[in-house]
Amino acid sequence: MAQKKGHRSLSSDDPEELARVPLQAVLLADSFATKFRPITLERPKVLLPLVNAPMIDYTLAWLESVGVEEAFVFCCAHSQQVKDYLNKSQWMKQPGTFTVQPIESHDSISAGDALRVIYNLGVICGDFVLVSGDTISNMSLKEALQEHKERRKKDPLAVMTMVIKHSKPSSLTHQTRLGNDEILMAIDPDTKELLYYEDKTDQSQRFITLDKMLLASTPTLHLHNDKQDCYIDICSPEVLSLFTDNFDYQHLRRHFVKGLLVDDLMGYKIFTHEIHSSYAARIDNFRSYDTISKDIIQRWTYPMVPDVQYFGNCSQMKLDRLGIYKAPEVDQSRTAQIRAFSLIGNGTAIGDHSVISNSVIGQSCTIGRNVSIQGSYIWDNVIIEDDCKLSHALVCDGVHLRAGVVLEPGVILSFKVEVGQKIVIPAYSKVSLLPQPSKQDSDEELEYADANSGVVESPSITSIANTRNVDPVPDSPDAEHSDTSEVGISGVGYIWSTTEGGHEEEWRHSIAPIPAEKLMEFCLSAHTDLGVSNQDVNSLPASGELQLDSESTGFDDGEDYKDSADFEKEVEATFQRVLAGVNPENVILEINSLRLSYDMSHADCAGSLFYSIMKSALSAPFSSNRELLLNTGKELSRWKDLLKNCLKTIDEEIEVLLKFEEMCLETTKEFAPLFSAILNHLYEKDILSEDAILSWAEEKEGADESDKVFVKQSEPFLKWLREASEDEDD
Amino acid sequence: MWLRSASFVLDQRQQQEEPSSFFYDPRFYDPRDPAQLPPPSPSIDPMDQNPNPNHGISAYYQTRAEHHAVVTSDWLAQAQAAVGRDAAPSSGRPTAAASSSSAARTGSVGGGGKPFSVIDEFNYWRKKPDLAEAVAAIMALAAVIRSSEATTMMELEIELKKASDTLKSWDTTSISLSAGCDLFMRYVTRTSALEYEDFDAAKLRLIERGEKFGEISLKARRTIAMLGQDFIFDGCTILVHGFSRVVLEVLKLAASNRKLFRVLCTEGRPDRTGLRLSNELAALGVPVKLLIDSAVAYTMDEVDMVFVGADGVVESGGIINMMGTYQIALVAHSMNKPVYVAAESYKNDSCELLQFARLYPLDQKDLAPALRSIDFGVPIPSGVEVETSARDYTPPQYLTLLFTDLGVLTPSVVSDELIQLYL
Amino acid sequence: MPDVQALVNDFVLKLKRRKIEGSHASAQHTAELLRSVISHQRMPYTNQAGALIDAVKAVGEQLIAANPVELAVGNIVRRVLHIIREEDLSSTATAIEGLGLSAGSDDDDEGQHEDRPALSAAALAAAARSTLRAPSLQTLLEDIPDSAAAPQPPSSGGDSEGKSKSADKNIRSRKLKHDVIEAINELIQDIDTCHEQISEQAVEHIHQNEVILTLGRSRTVKEFLCAAKEKNRSFRVFVAEGAPRYQGHVLAKELVSKGIQTTVITDSAVFAMISRVNMVIVGAHAIMANGGVIAPVGINMVALAAQRHAVPFVVVAGSHKLCPLYPHNPEVLLNDLKCPSDLLDFGEFSDCMDFGSHGGSPLLHVVNPAFDYVPPKLVSLFITDTGGHNPSYMYRLIADYYSADDLVVKRRSTS
Repeated sequence: MAQKKGHRSLSSDDPEELARVPLQAVLLADSFATKFRPITLERPKVLLPLVNAPMIDYTLAWLESVGVEEAFVFCCAHSQQVKDYLNKSQWMKQPGTFTVQPIESHDSISAGDALRVIYNLGVICGDFVLVSGDTISNMSLKEALQEHKERRKKDPLAVMTMVIKHSKPSSLTHQTRLGNDEILMAIDPDTKELLYYEDKTDQSQRFITLDKMLLASTPTLHLHNDKQDCYIDICSPEVLSLFTDNFDYQHLRRHFVKGLLVDDLMGYKIFTHEIHSSYAARIDNFRSYDTISKDIIQRWTYPMVPDVQYFGNCSQMKLDRLGIYKAPEVDQSRTAQIRAFSLIGNGTAIGDHSVISNSVIGQSCTIGRNVSIQGSYIWDNVIIEDDCKLSHALVCDGVHLRAGVVLEPGVILSFKVEVGQKIVIPAYSKVSLLPQPSKQDSDEELEYADANSGVVESPSITSIANTRNVDPVPDSPDAEHSDTSEVGISGVGYIWSTTEGGHEEEWRHSIAPIPAEKLMEFCLSAHTDLGVSNQDVNSLPASGELQLDSESTGFDDGEDYKDSADFEKEVEATFQRVLAGVNPENVILEINSLRLSYDMSHADCAGSLFYSIMKSALSAPFSSNRELLLNTGKELSRWKDLLKNCLKTIDEEIEVLLKFEEMCLETTKEFAPLFSAILNHLYEKDILSEDAILSWAEEKEGADESDKVFVKQSEPFLKWLREASEDEDD
Repeated sequence: MWLRSASFVLDQRQQQEEPSSFFYDPRFYDPRDPAQLPPPSPSIDPMDQNPNPNHGISAYYQTRAEHHAVVTSDWLAQAQAAVGRDAAPSSGRPTAAASSSSAARTGSVGGGGKPFSVIDEFNYWRKKPDLAEAVAAIMALAAVIRSSEATTMMELEIELKKASDTLKSWDTTSISLSAGCDLFMRYVTRTSALEYEDFDAAKLRLIERGEKFGEISLKARRTIAMLGQDFIFDGCTILVHGFSRVVLEVLKLAASNRKLFRVLCTEGRPDRTGLRLSNELAALGVPVKLLIDSAVAYTMDEVDMVFVGADGVVESGGIINMMGTYQIALVAHSMNKPVYVAAESYKNDSCELLQFARLYPLDQKDLAPALRSIDFGVPIPSGVEVETSARDYTPPQYLTLLFTDLGVLTPSVVSDELIQLYL
Repeated sequence: MPDVQALVNDFVLKLKRRKIEGSHASAQHTAELLRSVISHQRMPYTNQAGALIDAVKAVGEQLIAANPVELAVGNIVRRVLHIIREEDLSSTATAIEGLGLSAGSDDDDEGQHEDRPALSAAALAAAARSTLRAPSLQTLLEDIPDSAAAPQPPSSGGDSEGKSKSADKNIRSRKLKHDVIEAINELIQDIDTCHEQISEQAVEHIHQNEVILTLGRSRTVKEFLCAAKEKNRSFRVFVAEGAPRYQGHVLAKELVSKGIQTTVITDSAVFAMISRVNMVIVGAHAIMANGGVIAPVGINMVALAAQRHAVPFVVVAGSHKLCPLYPHNPEVLLNDLKCPSDLLDFGEFSDCMDFGSHGGSPLLHVVNPAFDYVPPKLVSLFITDTGGHNPSYMYRLIADYYSADDLVVKRRSTS
């Protein structure tokens, strides 16, 4: 606790502390991603309001508070807008040491390019802080910087310090609060060196592969999936040159970090710094936008909270009980209710009986009567007429919703969209005045930046009127041409067909909470994912293959039996088909696939195959044991090679023996007397090798009498075997 | 419409010319009433016997009730009944008699041909909606000056003295009335003290000064409203007792500042001042709920603060206000709810100057009782006594703050200030 | 004077960003800032007082708006305004000497009511004082300061004086400014030395072998206790740790280093311990005009416990913490909700704040208020640098320190 408060006090006197070394920062005012489309077609992401203040203000304010003196704002998409904003913002004309300097470039399509540009400018002289313009934090960089510098003194190869934060991913969906997949990091607990970084873990495969060398070189490492990457990096100048050296580095994490981690000939190291009491997070997609807004309203980012007018420009907010923020000039009807965790901007009017809960409403909006707004984000100058229902929607500036409009969860309405009366916008759909770019572009593609990006070209009209009839994923074309007649009532804007990842992926990144059925799906697989985090992997098999989840906890033996049982049935069925005269090769394939799908070992497979063979032998009519023996002999010789397929190693053969034994005991008692004979037969047909048989016998040595019956029965045969092997030896 | 019904009854009475009726009604001489201008000469006679010390209703409350526009005909009837029944001689008799005669004289001296009555003036002014009693009194006195033909300061003063005595004795129980008179009288004596070269100048000055008091009091009220409305926060529930112009002003201002609050009005028996207040508030669109006076404790838990006016603030820092204030304050205190008093400062100013100066009430009975009749709906069996006192005294320890035009004061501050001023 | 403007902006920014916190620091900075403002203010030919007051109000308005919770700022601004009036008054008093001013006073007052900004209710009140009191009690002699003090819209009031005293203006202009700056220096002095002055009284209050309870850490309290120790009183101190900032731990260290018997208890143990305590001494964030106290969170509980066991509850605070305003709805308006991470670790609870899975509404809400409001009836004694007072007496101190015209700091132009 004491350390906590120390933390706070430190952050306060940072500027003086660090005045000696001019600390620089590079702020990427372009996410080089398309997650925020269609909004980002018209306005750069960093200027989007987050709780009524542009994101970039939070980042700049933080940089200033941690004592950064020179901040280079790299703007690419909509660079003009960004520059204009900065010019009229307080940051330019601020007194004191903090200077903001925009850098413009039009041909950069990735963070990599940006850094290369900056390198060529040669403005960076020392260690610098690398953040993107959508990072919210109130942490104090002091220790992080200190650690970084000391490390640099010790070894010059420690080029980068990543700031990470302890934050659990949702045990259900394997995605963090911020909507991206859980990140796996291997960190050396002593040196805090980052050894492994994977942010695209897919859940289907249950293991990750670490390089043997890692485990060889470092005595111990911790695997974390409960760390959140804050995307705040303290870099030394080498980083820039590294980017220029390898042109293929585009993405900061996916290429650069991983790149450094894998190649060991240059031996650059990346270290981590974990923050505890303070807050840091990056807005990467709509879900994180939602989450971070809520964190701000819950004051985790103090002092960057609405009622402390941190960025001077925003109007004085009044914080009421239950986290209700109200600007002074709110015209609220007596019957309107504002529920907990809401923020109402200046000059907004709210009509009778409207209910607003956990939402952020911008400035000078007009909200009619009986409107219900829940968990939504409404920006400035929005007009919402009576009886509208908004839940978990994002509504940009100047949107006009006519009476009775319903926005289902996850809807995004971009700038100046108009929606006609009594229209239901289906969940997760995105509406914009701009047409959807024809080809779906990858994550790397930059924000839509053409010369006249600021101006909106005259929108052609899609009728949102009949989206009720249109299937939940409305394809723009037919929706457009269907009826352009009722423009007046229907409104203006394209409905975008859902972006890459397809509809079923939409829920991951949308503002809306994860739908119940999704959660249900996850619940089914959930119990397999327990105990994932923080496994100390000292005692790993050298193979380096690490089983992330332990089935044993998941399945109890009951269902284990059940599985193997119907596996046997399956095998038998296929075998029947063979009898019906299917080509054995296919059968082998089939059996293998069965084995995989039931995820059984070769042994099981062999066992059950053998079982079905014997059954078939049994099925043939026989009067005496002798005949039965003959039948069996026939069957075996007939299916020998099929069986052989499964008997790859000695283990399987033993399994077969055990199976046979079991059959004799339980299911098919008929074989009991013939056991040794058939065993002999198997040996003859060299289906079973002698070591298999011997080791089986050895296994049985220790067993109690009841099990030993067959061993005894086949004692002479075994004896013979042993002798045979002996005189082979000499 | 209550007003009309009342006046209707009165007119009837007037036609019948019942000499037996002791009932005094100022509207009868209302200058604004065309039917009665100029007042007929016989009207002097009731004037002479007025105020009849015998009737148990202080004129103040008769007229006040009427101005509050909730007087009913049965109220008047009941009043009559009370008059007939109650024969207890009031202590105020001699002075009253004297004053009444003096008042008559004043009339004759000042009136010239046309008879002039301070009381009429007073009542005329009082009918103005937003004029406090004290101011009305001052206006009346100013009118006296205007209509007097005194030639020296001395005479004028004497005249005024008489006039103010008339007013005061006409209703010995109205604090603000006497406060007004005294305030003005003090001013007169003070101005005369600094010799004015010519009398007319002085006279004019006095008159204009009188007028000024009007706007001063209005300003005072606005000030109080501004101070008081800070204490009203969004979503709070306010309990109001009685009708006080100042309290109404505070609530009005708060409402106009888009504060979201809700008001509980006590009924305010017997003259139903609560009804009137609730009318006004409802007109402003403030959600109002009416309570019977006995429901206060029942509803106190949902109340955030209690707002009351004050007829007077006494040296102890306690207040004298409409009957029921004390018990409300007690309930509020026991439930730890703040009790806010809104009062114009000349109330306590004048208090400490005049007969209330040294008043340091220790219990309710220390007050000059203001009597009024109470309508129980059913005839009261003979021999049953009725508590007709109109006000009670609320000790300072039950008050939280006083909003005066001198600023926000705690009761202790008030008493300190008053004492200090007196030394 | 741009340089002053820069200073002001810088300070405003600091206040906004909570870089300057704590009433002592902010009070000091404010005073120094205002001093420089005044020294740079160029004096007009007539009515310097008015000019100064306007300048100070202009600045003061911004400062108060910057961090409304830091009441000390507003207090100092008002103190300075008061100082200016006082100085002006003392100099005018000499100037107006022998000027026959009959009932002129009334005229001035009335005249000024007209153009008064509707906003400054308190100012109206003040003027009302002068009008209504004037007829009520003051003798003619008292009218002189009355008329001089009344000019609260300095323009009108000021040049009414301006007319009267054309003679010795130049001398006065020098003098006034100089005096004011002198006075402000004294004020800064007081703010610095308030701790000593308070702790001088320690011996009178702390007696041999007493048990004293305090919560959190207040520098004033610390000095107070140490002073008593130096006068070699032997006593024991219970320190409630004062969650969530746990300043109590720091205080305990300091006290022990001074050789004082110290016991650290949790906040929740206060009631259990209170019966053994002879006196509760705590610091305050601000003292309101009605004697109520804005103090670090948790102190109201201590006060209630003390009252329950009839233990005297003493508040020590420098006079710069004395605020002329009345608290309305103080729990909400005069409070500052700090960061939840003081209470619990974000990482551990992050899964409770996964808005994806819990239907999107935050189920976990952490409230971390900075202050408590202690009603006056729970306080038995205030010890300020001017001695001990009981809550009902606070208004008198306020009357000495502040002039009623300044309760609302608002420039008439802006209103």
